[in-house]
Amino acid sequence: MDWTLWLELVIKALVLIFALLGGFAYLTWYERRLLARFQSRLGPNRAGPFGLLQPIADAVKLIFKEELTPAKAYKLVFFLAPIMTLVPSVIIAAVIPWGPPFQLGDRIVTQSIADINVGVLFLMSIASIAVYGIVLAGWSSNNKYAMLGGLRSAAQMISYELTLGLAFVVAILLGNSMNLTDIVEAQRDGRWFVLVQPVGALILWIATLAEVNRHPFDMPEAEQELTAGYHTEYSGMKFALFFMAEYQKMIVVSAILATLFFGGYLGPWVDRWPLLGPVYMFLKIVILLFIMIWVRATWPRIRYDRLMAFGWKVLLPLALAVVMITAVGILLAEINPWMIWLIPIFSLIAGAFASLMIDRSLRRKAYA
Amino acid sequence: MATTVSTKSVDLSTIFPDAVIADERKGYTGWLVEKDNLIEIATYVREELDYDLLSSVTGVDYLPEEKMEVVYQVYKTTGGPGLFFKVQIPREDPMEIPSVINIWPGADLQEREIWDLYGIKFPGHPDLRRILTWEGFEGHPMRKDWQEPFYEEETKPFKSRWPKGEHIHAEEINPYHDNLKFPPKFNPENWTPTDPEEALYTSLKKFTTKNEDGLEAEQIIVNMGPQHPSTHGVFRAVVVLDGEKVVSLKPVMGYLHRNHEKIGERNTYLHNMPYTDRLDYFNSMANNWAYALAVEKLMGIEVTERSEYIRVIMSELTRIQNHLVWVGIFLNDLGAVVTPLLYAFEERELILDIFEEVSGARMMCNYYRFGGVVRDMPVRAFEKLKQLVYDRLPGKIEEFERLLSENEILLSRVKGIGYLSAKDAIATSMTGPMLRASGVPYDIRRAEPYGIYDRFDFDVVTRPECDLYARYHVRIEEMHQSLRILEQAVSTIPEGPILPKKPVYQVRVPAGEAYGRIESPKGELGFYVISNGKPNPWRYHVRAPSFINITALEKMCVGEKIADFVAILGAIDIVLGELDR
Amino acid sequence: MTILFLIIAIVILASAVMVVTTRNLVHAALWLIVSLFGVAVLFAMLNAGFLAVVQVVVYIGAIAILFIFAVMLTRREMRGHGKPLNNNWWISALLSLLTFGGLAMLLSNWDGFSQTPADFPSDFDGVAELGNALIDPNQFVLPFEVASILLVAALVGAVYIASNRK
Repeated sequence: MDWTLWLELVIKALVLIFALLGGFAYLTWYERRLLARFQSRLGPNRAGPFGLLQPIADAVKLIFKEELTPAKAYKLVFFLAPIMTLVPSVIIAAVIPWGPPFQLGDRIVTQSIADINVGVLFLMSIASIAVYGIVLAGWSSNNKYAMLGGLRSAAQMISYELTLGLAFVVAILLGNSMNLTDIVEAQRDGRWFVLVQPVGALILWIATLAEVNRHPFDMPEAEQELTAGYHTEYSGMKFALFFMAEYQKMIVVSAILATLFFGGYLGPWVDRWPLLGPVYMFLKIVILLFIMIWVRATWPRIRYDRLMAFGWKVLLPLALAVVMITAVGILLAEINPWMIWLIPIFSLIAGAFASLMIDRSLRRKAYA
Repeated sequence: MATTVSTKSVDLSTIFPDAVIADERKGYTGWLVEKDNLIEIATYVREELDYDLLSSVTGVDYLPEEKMEVVYQVYKTTGGPGLFFKVQIPREDPMEIPSVINIWPGADLQEREIWDLYGIKFPGHPDLRRILTWEGFEGHPMRKDWQEPFYEEETKPFKSRWPKGEHIHAEEINPYHDNLKFPPKFNPENWTPTDPEEALYTSLKKFTTKNEDGLEAEQIIVNMGPQHPSTHGVFRAVVVLDGEKVVSLKPVMGYLHRNHEKIGERNTYLHNMPYTDRLDYFNSMANNWAYALAVEKLMGIEVTERSEYIRVIMSELTRIQNHLVWVGIFLNDLGAVVTPLLYAFEERELILDIFEEVSGARMMCNYYRFGGVVRDMPVRAFEKLKQLVYDRLPGKIEEFERLLSENEILLSRVKGIGYLSAKDAIATSMTGPMLRASGVPYDIRRAEPYGIYDRFDFDVVTRPECDLYARYHVRIEEMHQSLRILEQAVSTIPEGPILPKKPVYQVRVPAGEAYGRIESPKGELGFYVISNGKPNPWRYHVRAPSFINITALEKMCVGEKIADFVAILGAIDIVLGELDR
Repeated sequence: MTILFLIIAIVILASAVMVVTTRNLVHAALWLIVSLFGVAVLFAMLNAGFLAVVQVVVYIGAIAILFIFAVMLTRREMRGHGKPLNNNWWISALLSLLTFGGLAMLLSNWDGFSQTPADFPSDFDGVAELGNALIDPNQFVLPFEVASILLVAALVGAVYIASNRK
């Protein structure tokens, strides 16, 4: 380990962290402007051109806000919880490849911080510890709304983690590796995994929505029922940390989805100019975020018990079926490469069957 | 329009010759019932005469006669005029009247209100606590001999306010220490408050130690409100939860209580007109009408033809904008953040534009007068109205309906949730869309037409499902029906005067009682006004649909999830200005 | 490396002691997480990246969170009262000492214990090796399948207990 390697790591880490911070700030702007368009209003447009300085104004406001700690809160945990929420949302981004390696002087620079061979599993493990901050925030606030919010999020995240893992398995099977760079490279020549396994991509997308508590799965902070859920008692910068974590998670899961199913950094001429990689990633992330915000602007929220039922009774079996179909399809593809297209056909049939079952259960439940 | 003389068609005094006499006071109708026979007579009225809907129960304090009276107004859900009967008791504590809660469960909150405001006890009521004021409140404020701090005179206009043509604040002439009456033996220095919540939690205690399946699961009490984003104001519900399931629920209200009725009794008749705006601030046009109706009955005046049409137009526009916003807020409660709400507001703004052009105000319209409306509809407003009714609204309402009505998430959240059978809905005195969503075709515009509703062709919308889905669709369909009425009204509105005679500041109202009720967008809105011939009403009671529809909240919520509580409460369509009064 | 190992070992042991001595159950669960995390770091130091990540996923991400879940649901025990140790603490202390002694004795008799492991070849893919070993009939397929069946049985049992028999 020479010093240039350390330097490279530090620079890359700093770039990533600042990109995420800036991304968070402008994601709030992006979301507010978009929501406003969906709702036939204008959105923030006062601070700076197109309201571009609004995130800065917000940051200043949050920094100067008073921080309250409830008298009966468990102080240490109450203090630690926002940090424990934010940290996983940053380090999870470490394994994502943002572009192909490029030559700088006489050294090859990879465009990811850690290109480890169990990258997908790393994602899993960080996703699974992300729930701690929320649970502990809910518990330590000593507030019933926050408590219920924390409990809900714990149950929800554990439930959807299984589905998330299975959706990762689909990508691992298709890419034949746990290394994220290998998975991206397996999608060359436009063979994005979303084309091979659209249902898998959809499952992963739904599961990540649940993992980051986005609409329509934003149970833990369901404003209409639980005021603000787990962060009811938080204010000032501590609240800002939760806010930051949520938006960074949105960015990161979009990046993961782009990497696993939408060809990651791949795009035209990316081999000639490796720095186009991050640009393609950025575009893909922005489009995926747009869909997330779109959903938020239009759909009602699923009720909590239905959310759990959906996770366990629909999504998990479907994910298992999709894994099966993918595995068999890959074996068949060894006989004849065209057999690979049996995977999307059969998994779409499985998906259609699942949505039919949802529809029937809705009809049955309605006036039982 | 004469007072409801036709109630005499049922002659209670021949059925119960010993216990009932006709109310012969000048201007009064109905029957005076002996206190001891109340239950028997009420049961007869409910079971044999089929008066199944208890519209309103209220107290009246006849201080000069040293009497306290409780007035029951019951109706048939099949339509027709109502039956009034009254119980008089001597005005000395303890005042007690048996509770009719077992005959009409809808009396629940109203009897509590009478206990709170008049201090009449109802033996047999299971949970007789104060409702609008808090448990430690001293006195019963609606009694005529109860005086508020800074009390000046019995009735307005107060002489002190304009001594030499100049305004003086009440606080300046009534220094704090000068005009406060403390209860006997009360020392503010060493007073420690008793816990006003104790009675409430005691009434919930029986649920918290329940055992199920041999497992002792702890149930938690959650206070939804008073500061909560989904209670539509400062409403509070104390919910006992088993996990996410609602085991029991008690509504707590009165945070916005200002004793509207007492203020109404201090005001002159015309003073009260803008004051009704503040009840249900979404539907001031409807509130005005109900009050005008009651006073017009007392005065015995006719409303001019053109004004009748304008009243129908304004009231139906109000219904459309109320239902639009309701759908928006309801979807918001279901978690469809604010998009539908803002879509609804877009149309509502256009309707409010018309209100503004005719009355000068967008929300607090203060538009109706006794015998008509305050000023004629400008031509420009009429043009706008036509454009809205014929071109814009039909398409927009349909678009709004398409927006989410078939969404799976929405269906899963509304179908089968908050079930309230037709029987329970009638028993708990539900009215308006809530009752019609339980399959009861009861609409006052049809059941006992007021104004000129008998001239219009429209359907009473009902749904058989009795759940949130039905309440959602009833309201959407009612908007279409309102448009039908509007189209007829706009095309046939005649020219003519809007007021029968020159407007006066002080109206002369002969002594008597009158109950004016209309189909407000939220349910039956009634004003019970008693005049003793003076410039101010002796009694001014509001039969608020938001308040009485809350009665069934617990019944609808128990067994559902906490998330559904929010939706069920939202579906009732409460407005706190009216609920707390 | 040795220093790092010593630090981590101390952290693991100290937090393990805190788990059994602290009075607040949630704090105990948090100390348990620290201890489990230390073990994950040890795995990583032994070039067993897969095991390290799995340790985090399974123990920290699932099991410990269920502990916290259970503790939160039993609100009355949140602030512990009285002593965390009961009268039988010395029996368990004795048992764990015996177990530790037995393990130490067994391991010290194993000659691989004192050898330095050889470095992995550069193209060695531990994950693939592990995966193949688990489904290779000559290696661990039988224990693997038995464990699977056991887990399924436990799952079915849990569903049966939790289901409403109505």
